[in-house]
Amino acid sequence: MMNQAALPAWLTTYVATQQATEAWLRELQQTLAQDFLQRGIPSRREEEWKYTDMSFLAKECFTKSSTLRSVVSPAIVAGHRLKNIESIFIVLVNGHFVESLSDMRLLPDSVTLCSMKQALQHHAELVKAHLTRNLNLQKHPFASLNAAMLAEGVFLHVPKKTVIAAPIHILYLHGEENNIVTCPRNMIIADEHAQVTLLEEHSAYGAVTYFTNVVTDIHAEAGAKVHYHKIQNDAAKATHIAQIFVNQQQDSLVETHSLALGSKLGREDVFVNIKARGAHSNINGFYCLTQDDQHIDNHVHVDHAASHGTSNMVYKGVLDKKSRAVFNGKIYVHKGAQKTQSYQANHNLLLSTQAEVDTKPEFEIYADDVKCAHGDTVGQLDMDSLFYLRSRGIEKQAAMKLLTYAFAADVMNKMTHTQIKQRMTILLNEKLAHDD
Amino acid sequence: MLTIRNLHATIQDEKQKTKAILRGINLDIKPGEVHAIMGPNGSGKSTLSNVLAGHADYHVTAGDVMLDGKVLLELSPEERAAAGLFLAFQYPVEIPGVNNMYFLKAALNSLRKSRELPPLDAMDFLQLIKSKIKDVGLDEAFLNRAVNEGFSGGEKKRNEILQMLMLEPRFAILDETDSGLDIDALQMVAKGVNSLRSPERSILVITHYQRLLDYIVPDVVHVMVNGQVIKSGGKELALELEAKGYGWLEGLAE
Ligand SMILES: Nc1ncnc2c1ncn2[C@@H]1O[C@H](COP(=O)(O)OP(=O)(O)OP(=O)(O)O)[C@@H](O)[C@H]1O
Ligand SMILES: [Mg+2]
Repeated sequence: MMNQAALPAWLTTYVATQQATEAWLRELQQTLAQDFLQRGIPSRREEEWKYTDMSFLAKECFTKSSTLRSVVSPAIVAGHRLKNIESIFIVLVNGHFVESLSDMRLLPDSVTLCSMKQALQHHAELVKAHLTRNLNLQKHPFASLNAAMLAEGVFLHVPKKTVIAAPIHILYLHGEENNIVTCPRNMIIADEHAQVTLLEEHSAYGAVTYFTNVVTDIHAEAGAKVHYHKIQNDAAKATHIAQIFVNQQQDSLVETHSLALGSKLGREDVFVNIKARGAHSNINGFYCLTQDDQHIDNHVHVDHAASHGTSNMVYKGVLDKKSRAVFNGKIYVHKGAQKTQSYQANHNLLLSTQAEVDTKPEFEIYADDVKCAHGDTVGQLDMDSLFYLRSRGIEKQAAMKLLTYAFAADVMNKMTHTQIKQRMTILLNEKLAHDD
Repeated sequence: MLTIRNLHATIQDEKQKTKAILRGINLDIKPGEVHAIMGPNGSGKSTLSNVLAGHADYHVTAGDVMLDGKVLLELSPEERAAAGLFLAFQYPVEIPGVNNMYFLKAALNSLRKSRELPPLDAMDFLQLIKSKIKDVGLDEAFLNRAVNEGFSGGEKKRNEILQMLMLEPRFAILDETDSGLDIDALQMVAKGVNSLRSPERSILVITHYQRLLDYIVPDVVHVMVNGQVIKSGGKELALELEAKGYGWLEGLAE
């Protein structure tokens, strides 16, 4: 139907060799795979993919990592752990869950936390219900591909009124194997009045090339609170495609804090569905692009289908060299979603004259009693501030770094979890220090 | 200490037209001396300060400046600071997101590094800054705010003096630090400046009011009009200017 690039042979092969043990999944995956192959890789003629060119998928060749071949040292893994706090830690290397590197000691008995493979065996009904929920091939082609290829990931089910004190840290690590593709899925289900804090981190050791297509589903039932954080610090040549689906029931609160530092091409779509009255959602992001030809594309879509909901979307980014960022914030307020309050902002700081930003706010509002606002800017470092710092003896590079971090500060300060914020701040500062 | 010879500087205005602002400045400030510059609005006093500190918007078209034998105009702003220059700005900028204490520590340690001194550790730094902030009459809470953000006019000026006391420059320029200060603050600023006075240090005070010069007694007073120093004299010149204004001097300008 759509005029797309030729399908690469590796993808056809990859899709054809998917063999889930569960019959229902095998069937679902075969259908999804056929549909995706028919649809094809999204092309730049599609509005949602206007600025992000995926045609390289047809030029390169990716394979599945069938068994874990990398031997990552525990010291490397330990370097990723949160400092000054005990966390629940789940490690996946090249797409494979590695129990020996994980640490579940602090997991309360009533909570289910396991790899997706284990969940498919023991919690098939829940997985099935949630897996089919956000399928929409035309709108979310890579989410469909993810479901078609689903093999691993993380499954979390927090029962009613359960509060998990320790943060859950999910680490996706890549190393040693080149040109592999993974389609992990994280399923986070917080039942009524449950509370959980998560950190999903994507990182690599060594210079490897790979393609990640991850989906994270967050379901917050009535009164649940989910604080979700994400670090995308993939290798410099990696491709990172992510979809985060957030479904919110009455009076729930979901916060997402996303920090994009790595990959050559990064695309993240966040879809927030405010499904019942009075749900609150804060969607924050920061991106820092420091390589030539680095490309980060953020699409955030908030759908207010119920009244008295609020959404606050603040994305900021800093761009150096010949990098490019895309931001598309879309807010849709349905007819019945009265008393909705929605805000979106995207601010960009260009450190180089060759960097480029395309930012586009969109509102579609069908209710009459709502408050919506937005703000978008693209600017440079303030020369007077830079001069002021330098006149006090601070070297130019250090002064630029200070001002760049200052630019990020208000988004970073929206994070309330001290240790996660600390870790994100350190990573951001390391990235900023790199770019001279 | 500081020698300015025939300094000419221009600026590109909003319409990208080149405007000559400094038109042949000559000054000679010796170690231990305090000089004052007075002059009508727009005569180029702040421009001179900014040119000395190395602001990139101003273009020096002729002349030289030597600080302690160094060719000042060839140095970057941070190298000038390392050479001992400090400018208390007439209009200090607000820098949201940069913590005041962090900034002061970065500045001090950067200058220490250039003097081949080890960085001050957190405890020593805290002790030092707590004693200095008392001297300028600011509450310690100002240390945890963003640099100058939301500070009142007088608080900004006190913060400039705090920086000066922390960084201990060899040559300080105070550009209308007294403007907008109440009497108590004025005395506090004067006390701070006087505490820095020493045979090795020199200070250039830019002011519109002779009142400040009662507290910081200058060795030489200069009158700047239209980008030139048209008259210099002792501290009584300030009194004379206060009484007569600038009109009687206009004939002296080129
Ligand atoms: N960035 C600029 N763009 C355009 N004109 C400028 C700029 N900076 C200074 N000028 C002009 O240069 C002249 C000198 O300004 P300057 O600020 O040096 O005066 P000043 O003597 O410090 O005055 P005041 O006593 O009011 O502080 C003024 O006419 C001013 O408008
Ligand atoms: Mg001035």
